[in-house]
Amino acid sequence: MVELAIRNARTAEAPADPLEVPALTPGAMADSKPYPASAEHQEKIGFPGELVEDWKERAIDKLGDLVGKSRGLRVYLDSCVKCGACTDKCHYFLGSGDPKNMPVARQDLLRSVYRRYFTFSGKYFPKLVGATDLTEEVLDDWYSYFHQCSQCRRCSVYCPYGIDTAEISMAAREILDTVGRGQKYCNEIIGKVQTIGNNLGLQEKALRATLEDLEEDLEDETGLEIKLPLNVKGADILLVTPSADFFAEPHVDGLLGYAKVFHQMGESWTISSYASEAANFGMFIGSYENMRELALRIRKAAEELGVKRIIFGECGHAWRAAYAFLNTLAGPFDFLDQHYPIPQHICEYTYDLIEKDALTFDKSKNDHIRLTYHDSCNVARGSRMGDTPGGQFEIPRAILRAVCNHYFDMPADTIKEATLCCGGGGGLLTDELMDIRRKGAQPRMRALQQVADEHGVTHLAAICAICKTQFAKLLPEHGFEMDSIVSIHQLVSNAIVLDGQISDDDDDDEDDEDDEDDEDDEDGDA
Amino acid sequence: MLTITYALLFYLATLVLIVGVAHRIWQFARTPAPLKIPTAPAPVTQGGVVLRLLREAVLFESLFKANKWIWLFGWVFHFGLLLVLLRHLRYFTDPVWSWVVLIQPFGVYAGFAMVVGLAGLWARRLLVPRIRYISGPSDHLMLALLLAIGLSGLGMKYVFPTDIVALKAFVLGLMYFDWQPLPPDPILLLHLGLVALLMIVFPISKLVHAPGLFFSPGRNQVDNPRERRHLAPWAAKLETGGRS
Amino acid sequence: MAYQYNGTTVEHDEEGYITDISLWSRELADIIAKDENIEMTDEHWEVVNFLRDYYEEYQIAPAVRVLIKSIKKSMGKDKGNNKYMYHLFPYGPAKQACKIAGLPKPTGCV
Ligand code: HEM
Ligand code: SF4
Ligand code: SF4
Repeated sequence: MVELAIRNARTAEAPADPLEVPALTPGAMADSKPYPASAEHQEKIGFPGELVEDWKERAIDKLGDLVGKSRGLRVYLDSCVKCGACTDKCHYFLGSGDPKNMPVARQDLLRSVYRRYFTFSGKYFPKLVGATDLTEEVLDDWYSYFHQCSQCRRCSVYCPYGIDTAEISMAAREILDTVGRGQKYCNEIIGKVQTIGNNLGLQEKALRATLEDLEEDLEDETGLEIKLPLNVKGADILLVTPSADFFAEPHVDGLLGYAKVFHQMGESWTISSYASEAANFGMFIGSYENMRELALRIRKAAEELGVKRIIFGECGHAWRAAYAFLNTLAGPFDFLDQHYPIPQHICEYTYDLIEKDALTFDKSKNDHIRLTYHDSCNVARGSRMGDTPGGQFEIPRAILRAVCNHYFDMPADTIKEATLCCGGGGGLLTDELMDIRRKGAQPRMRALQQVADEHGVTHLAAICAICKTQFAKLLPEHGFEMDSIVSIHQLVSNAIVLDGQISDDDDDDEDDEDDEDDEDDEDGDA
Repeated sequence: MLTITYALLFYLATLVLIVGVAHRIWQFARTPAPLKIPTAPAPVTQGGVVLRLLREAVLFESLFKANKWIWLFGWVFHFGLLLVLLRHLRYFTDPVWSWVVLIQPFGVYAGFAMVVGLAGLWARRLLVPRIRYISGPSDHLMLALLLAIGLSGLGMKYVFPTDIVALKAFVLGLMYFDWQPLPPDPILLLHLGLVALLMIVFPISKLVHAPGLFFSPGRNQVDNPRERRHLAPWAAKLETGGRS
Repeated sequence: MAYQYNGTTVEHDEEGYITDISLWSRELADIIAKDENIEMTDEHWEVVNFLRDYYEEYQIAPAVRVLIKSIKKSMGKDKGNNKYMYHLFPYGPAKQACKIAGLPKPTGCV
């Protein structure tokens, strides 16, 4: 409450519209670019180490190749009518005002070259249709602006033809990789997964030590022997989770939450060190081959461990790559138990249990939290949970309401299918891109400020490793505590009542139940 | 001479339009979609997809979510255009189909609607800096072309009436390869010339958005990747290389 | 891209992480810290030393939580927490402390 009063005082002025459209500032972000991948990182994942001599021919060839292999890319490049509907939909444009961050303008960076070399009008009337030759400046622009797209797909929701700038960014990055201009952050990481098994480069020995350490913490907290099993052959469930869950804050608390739920249900489960990464950065660089390599690791781990089910932890792009692509890339998964979705999301798993009344929660454990939920972009617009469209919005919220008394949504045009990217998705979560990350986060931060002002919201839940890291970094700049970003399963972990758990404050729990703030709850359920 | 020129022009335009659009559609259809990428939340059944596409094509659903002004002008223009096209069927049918007769009165308003819609879209293109930024010469020219067609059409209806009976004879003559003279009316010649031009540029311009919508994977895919394995032929070839 | 001191040259990457960890020295750590606007105190050294020991054993930096637990043991409760770590290393214990300790930067969604 004190915090609430402070926050209200701090923002006495009218809160800014989260989606306020800035004036155009051409070139504002022209200098933003990621570090280039080294030759070693490039070659490791099948790309030339440096800009090849015949880069122009190769780039054009690759573009033609991709257009021939992807209907989406072809239709998207051909069909834009320049209606402008998408121009104010990208958070990077909203935050930076750079017109090349308007989705259609970003697409045009590639489209103008496509037109020049692959269409009648562009070949013969280039000026008329805005077709341009592929030059070094164009390549630089690609490198800069296709690394200012988090592939969040927000623009595609609003385009009358569903033109998806994410697909175009992926294609552009693949072309850049093909001519030897890869991005360090993504390409180094993909290489690590291929040799070590996860983005971090966490070897089995280190992973085991970390998990044992966390088991100790769990025992200290609960008095129970809650396991974080590693490489257990014959386990029923393989948990594939972002390696950030083993390493970073607040991610780790989410992992502990999964473990508690599994423990309570008496599941036999395991983590695999070989496939210790849910994220698939192959998607960010548009490389089907790399994406497939990474996906096959998960299949192989499942086969070797002999599990019956695969469950994915909280990770945004990973869930898209898992839900929508895993079956394509590494299927068919006929060796798994067909009674369960393949793969299944940890939120689907926990939600099913809540529906069946199999879990008990003490919601008052989260009463210090007034919560809102950030729909992670790739979960929202690239995947689903449950059987019905939109389950990816409802299931996380249902879990949050089951474990937390004070829940409030942010403005409707910033959540669910209209959700804003955190600003760090799609391979942008690297320090040298901090400026664009900060700008891209602005719309979300303004939306959060609104619910903070109106409902005293203190915490933001998310189910994506990238979102969590990005917000942990940026929330302090907006007057929130660093730990006001939380995992859904961290809140589950706080509230879950485990059989036989030692309990520190049994008696004051009872009163808390009646303490609920009725007035707020009405808002919260709206 | 005039008649022959226009007759040949229209044969050519029709040919380009049909062959061009068919080629586009064939290209779209032939290109595989390697991954399931429907914009979620997406329908989980084929029927749901049909409905989604219908809503997009008839109501411009996504555009409505995006921007009410563009939606309003765009929708008014397209449905004006649709009615106008249907109304034009009276030049191609003899006797005129009864439903075509029925819509004639609406068709007249539709002409105005189309022009108003186009004017609104163009105004936005010129006045809203974001949209001006993304507009190239061809985007303006396309609007100019359609506007000129609409205005010349309305001109014949309200200001300089043309010989409709002779025109219909010309059109039917084209269809049955029994050429009849075209009335040498400047505004009609302009109108027809521009229409032929539109038909010719249709397949090589952004106007392919019309078929494009129906081939957009973001909109036309069923959301069932877990239930059914989706695999493009070129991707299947990677698999025969053996699993690593 | 290299640190120069006492006539030695130690290569580093774009972000200042040294590329050959065997070339690390306490002197170099002081220099890197200075670049980061950090005045090395005993507490800083405690963290850096722990990171280096951990790295030696596991070829990777420890999870933040593991680090904090160890610091809690050695320096007490009011220093063994995330806040204090950020007080010591404003850019994050994982990234900034690793840089000073001569370890590679943790990669991924962290
Ligand atoms: C299935 C059929 C069609 C659908 C679903 C469709 C849909 C759309 C939509 C949603 C837009 C964007 C909004 C707007 O600017 O109006 C658009 C733009 C446009 N359409 Fe269509 N359209 C169709 C057929 C046609 C046809 C047959 C023509 C012309 C002969 C046409 C000409 C245009 C033009 C010129 C624009 C751009 C308007 C501007 O410059 O702002 N459309 N269409
Ligand atoms: S996909 Fe997201 S980040 Fe990329 S252009 Fe569209 S809205 Fe912007
Ligand atoms: S909304 Fe779609 S058609 Fe309109 S300008 Fe943007 S990408 Fe092009």
